[in-house]
Amino acid sequence: MSQRTERRGIHVDQSDLLCKKGCGYYGNAAWQGLCSKCWREEYQRVRQKQIQDDWALAEKLQREEEAAYASVHGAQALSHSQPAASQPHTGHASLGAFSKFEEKKTNEKTRKVTTVKKFFSPSSRTASKKETQEGKTPSPSISRHASFDTEQVSKDFVDFLKNLQKPGREIHKQCRAFIVNMSSKKDLGADELSECVQDFYQNLADRLMSHFKGSSESVEQVMDQVEKYIMTRLYKSVFCPETTDDEKKDLATQNRIRALHWVTIEMLCVSMDEEIPEVSENVVKAITDVIEMDSKRVPRDKLACITRCSKHIFSAIRITKNEPASADDFLPALIYIVLKANPPRLQSNIQYITRFCNPSRLMTGEDGYYFTNLCCAAAFIEKLDAQSLNLSPEEFERYMSGQASPRLNNSEGEWPHSGSAVGVTPTNPVLAQLNHNLEMLSGLSSRQESLMEAAQSLQADLIAWPKNVQREVNDILEKYPLEIMSRTVSAIDANNMDNDQLPPPLTPQVFAG
Amino acid sequence: MVLLGGSGVGKSSLAMRFGRDEFYTTSPTVGCAYMTRVVHLSDVTLRFEIWDTAGQEKYHSVTPLYYRGAHAALLVYDISKRETFIRAQMWLKELENQYIQGSTVIWLVGNKGDLAQNRQVSVQEGQGLASHKGLFFIETSALSGEHISELLQSVAHRVYESIGGHQGGLSEWQETPIVELQHRDTSNPFASCCKVGP
Repeated sequence: MSQRTERRGIHVDQSDLLCKKGCGYYGNAAWQGLCSKCWREEYQRVRQKQIQDDWALAEKLQREEEAAYASVHGAQALSHSQPAASQPHTGHASLGAFSKFEEKKTNEKTRKVTTVKKFFSPSSRTASKKETQEGKTPSPSISRHASFDTEQVSKDFVDFLKNLQKPGREIHKQCRAFIVNMSSKKDLGADELSECVQDFYQNLADRLMSHFKGSSESVEQVMDQVEKYIMTRLYKSVFCPETTDDEKKDLATQNRIRALHWVTIEMLCVSMDEEIPEVSENVVKAITDVIEMDSKRVPRDKLACITRCSKHIFSAIRITKNEPASADDFLPALIYIVLKANPPRLQSNIQYITRFCNPSRLMTGEDGYYFTNLCCAAAFIEKLDAQSLNLSPEEFERYMSGQASPRLNNSEGEWPHSGSAVGVTPTNPVLAQLNHNLEMLSGLSSRQESLMEAAQSLQADLIAWPKNVQREVNDILEKYPLEIMSRTVSAIDANNMDNDQLPPPLTPQVFAG
Repeated sequence: MVLLGGSGVGKSSLAMRFGRDEFYTTSPTVGCAYMTRVVHLSDVTLRFEIWDTAGQEKYHSVTPLYYRGAHAALLVYDISKRETFIRAQMWLKELENQYIQGSTVIWLVGNKGDLAQNRQVSVQEGQGLASHKGLFFIETSALSGEHISELLQSVAHRVYESIGGHQGGLSEWQETPIVELQHRDTSNPFASCCKVGP
């Protein structure tokens, strides 16, 4: 057998060598037995199909993206009309028969598609849930102007570095190189990426330190700018990366917080009195700030959000207790705020900050302290049990399973038994606020309706008015038709009979002189 | 510098003392959980960041987050309440499990020295525990301000010794007088024990 094949290898039949298409030229095994010309044609055909498929795919992706976008930002309005995500794979079924490397390419692409899908679906889900639950809309401008932001940041960065002249150019070059370098490392795990970024920070900081001769302030300034620039660029690829289970943790935390919706301010021993309007105002601001954190891209901006949130909490406690707050009051209050806010992608954000923030910011300073507190709050919420709320384990279980509730509210659909309890009595200030807002909204919409009606009647009036005027004019014209009298043309003094008695006109006289 | 200890032992008052007494507070209006304080030693100036922690028992499990990377930990107990002293020992055990190894200087602080008439924990007990575990010991009173500045000074001194030795000599640090207290990578073994205070 082997002999035969070997023989065949040597003595190849003439017909085997010819192009399979039978064009008369010799074929080549590398071109699947086709001659160069036929192979090119065949290949072009496949390519063409590939390109078309790519187009179709791109369009599909675009549609998906739009759908996701619409579901994020118009969830309330569009929640029922969200188009079903089309299956991106179908277009590739026909490709199976093609040569190996084509297949591989396709596989790669479908993989990418699923990743993209994965990326979109949970985030849109998260966001729409948030919206319906909180009644707060994340500002849509953030994602829309993302590219604009990136440009703006790059511009700022360049402007900033211009002041530094030569070292500035050097820094810029390094950052660019680093970003390119990072984009080639996308497949690395999050921890490796974090290490790369941290190494880069460290190296740059060391070099800057020697350049500025130890003036840590200017180094810090530059490092802040560098961080801003780099992280804005890298944000998409390193925030909540595929390689980690951050996303799963996010969802777990979110569900956990949702399951803990019944925790009251008293159970946590928070010394804030939300009855005082200033306090509740601060609480709302704190909640807004901690939610806003998710929309920022630069770790330091995220930290700033946390700090703002913390300051609001401090002032809330201060107003309530009339003395400066201590950590004993602050941590429970922060936990309460986090429970109330259920910040989107909390774990991802914490991880992201930990991985990519400048370490000197994280371990020291006010921001670092508040960030540590937030980490504590998140850890506490995860571990929270009956004891930490001063409840008996049975009570805790009952509340957690939804069989009982310290308040009479439960409008979330998570517990089927209580889902029917539509008659919500808002004992919770947030709910009260929500109801109040809803009332206001319905009031507004009815007012808008009446406004629209008025506007329409005004429009009708406006249209009718010229007609009326026209009609009236016509009526009057009919009533008093214009009579044109025959005019008798004559000289002005034609019928002046006394002409003859008038003295003759003065004649010019010449006087001597 | 991280303040640890059961609730109601006066960590926050201590922190307030540290921050308010003189020199420098970041934002006195905001609260007294986070403060900075500049301490002058004979040849250097240290900037302390004082992180207060929540003392309630239920937050015990999350406090390791606070003291990672800290240069000094002040373990506070109330001399008029024995249970806080026991709590302090629990804290200490945890601290030892997690860190120690020289990077963190630990002080055992018996607070509320002004309530000496209701004393439940004797000086000897505190001192004994401290020397047994290799800690520094001091009794203070946040109310009267007694021994507060001594504590600060000696903490500053020890911390400076600890990081200064690691960073390679004093001369270098004299040039950059402000030393970040929460410097991350200090691994200089520091194990000696000495008595500070009364």
